[in-house]
Amino acid sequence: MRRILLATLLALPSCADQGGGATLNYYFTYDPRSLDPALSTDVPTGEVVSLLFDNLTQFDADAQLIPGLARAWDTDPSGQRYTFHLRTGATFHDGRPIKAADVRASLLRALAPGVTGGRSWPLYPIRGARAYAAGESKGVDGISVPDDSTVILTLEEPLNIFPKLLAMPVAAIVPTPVTADFDQQPVGSGPWKFVSWSHDDAILLARNERYWQGQPQADSLRIRIIPEPLTQAAEYEAGQLSVVEVPVGETRRWEQTHADELQRRPGLKALYVAINTTRGPLKDLRVRRALNHAVDVPTLLTTAFAGRGVPAAGALPPGLAGYDSTRSPYRYDPAEARRLLAEAGYPKGFSLRLWRTQRAELARLAQSIQQGLGEVGIRAEIVERDASSARAAVRNGEADLFLTDWWADYPDPENFNYPLFHSRNKGPGGNYAFLADRMLDSMIVRARATTDEAEKTSLARAIDARVFELAPWIFLWFPVDIWAAQPDVQGWRFPLVFTGQRWLEVKRTQ
Amino acid sequence: MSRFLLQRVALLIPTLLGVLAITFLLLYVAPGDPVQAMVGERADPETLARLRAELRLDDPLHLQFAHYVSGVVRGDLGTSYITRRPILQDLLQRFPATLRLAGAAMLFAAVLGITIGIYGAWRPGSWPDRVSAFGAYLGVSFPVYWVGLILILVFAVNFRWLPPSGSGGGLAYLVLPALTLGMRSVAFLSRMTRAAMQEVLQSDFVRTARAKGLKETRVVLAHGFRNALLPVVTVLGLDFGSYLTGSILTETIFSWPGVGRYVLTAIDKRDLPAIQGSILFLSMVFVLVNLITDILYARVDPRVAYD
Repeated sequence: MRRILLATLLALPSCADQGGGATLNYYFTYDPRSLDPALSTDVPTGEVVSLLFDNLTQFDADAQLIPGLARAWDTDPSGQRYTFHLRTGATFHDGRPIKAADVRASLLRALAPGVTGGRSWPLYPIRGARAYAAGESKGVDGISVPDDSTVILTLEEPLNIFPKLLAMPVAAIVPTPVTADFDQQPVGSGPWKFVSWSHDDAILLARNERYWQGQPQADSLRIRIIPEPLTQAAEYEAGQLSVVEVPVGETRRWEQTHADELQRRPGLKALYVAINTTRGPLKDLRVRRALNHAVDVPTLLTTAFAGRGVPAAGALPPGLAGYDSTRSPYRYDPAEARRLLAEAGYPKGFSLRLWRTQRAELARLAQSIQQGLGEVGIRAEIVERDASSARAAVRNGEADLFLTDWWADYPDPENFNYPLFHSRNKGPGGNYAFLADRMLDSMIVRARATTDEAEKTSLARAIDARVFELAPWIFLWFPVDIWAAQPDVQGWRFPLVFTGQRWLEVKRTQ
Repeated sequence: MSRFLLQRVALLIPTLLGVLAITFLLLYVAPGDPVQAMVGERADPETLARLRAELRLDDPLHLQFAHYVSGVVRGDLGTSYITRRPILQDLLQRFPATLRLAGAAMLFAAVLGITIGIYGAWRPGSWPDRVSAFGAYLGVSFPVYWVGLILILVFAVNFRWLPPSGSGGGLAYLVLPALTLGMRSVAFLSRMTRAAMQEVLQSDFVRTARAKGLKETRVVLAHGFRNALLPVVTVLGLDFGSYLTGSILTETIFSWPGVGRYVLTAIDKRDLPAIQGSILFLSMVFVLVNLITDILYARVDPRVAYD
């Protein structure tokens, strides 16, 4: 209904007019929790932190790791000791130069038990960090600062993704001690300076003219808070937003009316149904494979998601090392599903519960999955809850199936393999399938530790193949993101990782 | 009158205490874990346990409740689990936006609804009356969500007369959300006013007024409308109360930074103190509006105060 209305009512041509002044207009779907990096647990907070602050390392729009406040870094042969060399000339927005001591103080602050951010895990690999965060020790002996421009971080064990973890918002460098209202009026060192924040309304940032990477092209960046996707689209069509994510239901129309403005690429994310491998019939591999054969993924993708996805034959999305484009997904084959169920001792099927959150786009998907399962004799009852209740039940192992997705925090196969499939992360850690496979665990651990890139990639590929074989998920697809940028906006690319677009090169030509 | 007022105010206290106890208990038994909502994905069990202890979520129910009530009595609605800001401050920051929107919607509804209603009663069966009856039918039938989006598409996207959403500061930002929000009230008010007026206009004193040779406008407005006010005030009061307590749909569609969205976010994030604080605050607003309505009642019809 909504789509038809939009299609008819918006059929008139729209000319973008963003008004004068070099202000770029962006938006978040909800208000950031805070502007303090230590409290960045959600995407809007992480994004705005990446604009206001700097990290030792950072990501570009293509999710490549590039130097940040550290101009270079090196690793000792063990892969356990990282030395970061800071660039000279970088300053906080208040003019104070950034020194190695600031890095140390910032990391300690993010870990400090009193901050209760709850999201300091990217720093846990540092030796002594976990104990410090738990309030069991007074310092972190893995952080040392030999001089003003060198920071040495020693890890508990070798971890090749560590420089990527330092690009996460929680590891941003802040001017300590911070002011009491730091979460509302932050002082950072990033390309944009804080101007104002009207909650649930807008955040205004001004360019940092002294930024070490060169000042941003635009004068200011206004970030509106717009919760409703169709309103976001309308704001763009009225010329009030510089860029917008195209709503799924609008895909077909925008592909015709805004063809030249669209950017599409597969995001670093996966849409899947976690199968709890510890519950009843789902313990049986044949049953889990039967579930995969029972769902018609290609049809679902076309009908419910406007074809915005790449069918998944594993958990690693295209764009990550280890993705194997040659492996075929489980094919839709109800007869094979019934055969597998009969072989496993369930010729008449069984009943289970499929959990989902209240996200509207998942409703139709859950029903289609339910229908597919029903056709092979599996009676699925859909349980719909708000996100936190659903997640709590799933983490406690109470859900048979859980329809959800996973977005990469940092661009590395480890960010899928370790949290989603290592037995240590069962439940709250992200392994909602409660998978515990010794072979998989050992490969994941090896892939985390190796300093050899080629070995890391081949391990990632082998892990993904093993995951596919064990069928801990109903593999659905890797969503393809589609964004539009106004014709007068130049230099904007939508980032693969949420912190990967810092709006430095973006400008308006009119 | 003062005794009437005292009685009403005294009734507020048990009402609010009831709200306090019920919200606290309901949220306690509702499924979900606020700490897991706080930390997002990839939480380790130690962090979860530490935060749970810090937030006193491990305390027995009666201790948690006592702690909460003692805060409320001191005027402290607590601190949000998610934003770490005082809840009362967050609510007070957003309330002016809600007040502005509710006021505009109410003004629009009152002016249009009452005018249509009076005209309909004065000239029943005329074509404007029939059109307005149909309009009222549509007004209560169309979902707010749909109307809001259509208004945005027509007036903001196609004609570019008004901004699509946001609060901006200017009056232009208020027009579409106020129309969307007030639409149902226009429908109700017009029908309510029409019915009440029709009854009054057929009564003997109106006939007498006309027989005295008074001007028709004076007969209808001064003699007729004054006596039809009671049901109109009821609808105005109830609708205004519900608008002030947050219009979640309208605020969401129009990105309006009011309390409705604050409550919605709090529920979504399972921010227990923010949910409890908001409900208490909004209940207070609602009962206050009801109180004012009651007082207006007594002014309009002094018999009410003596009942």
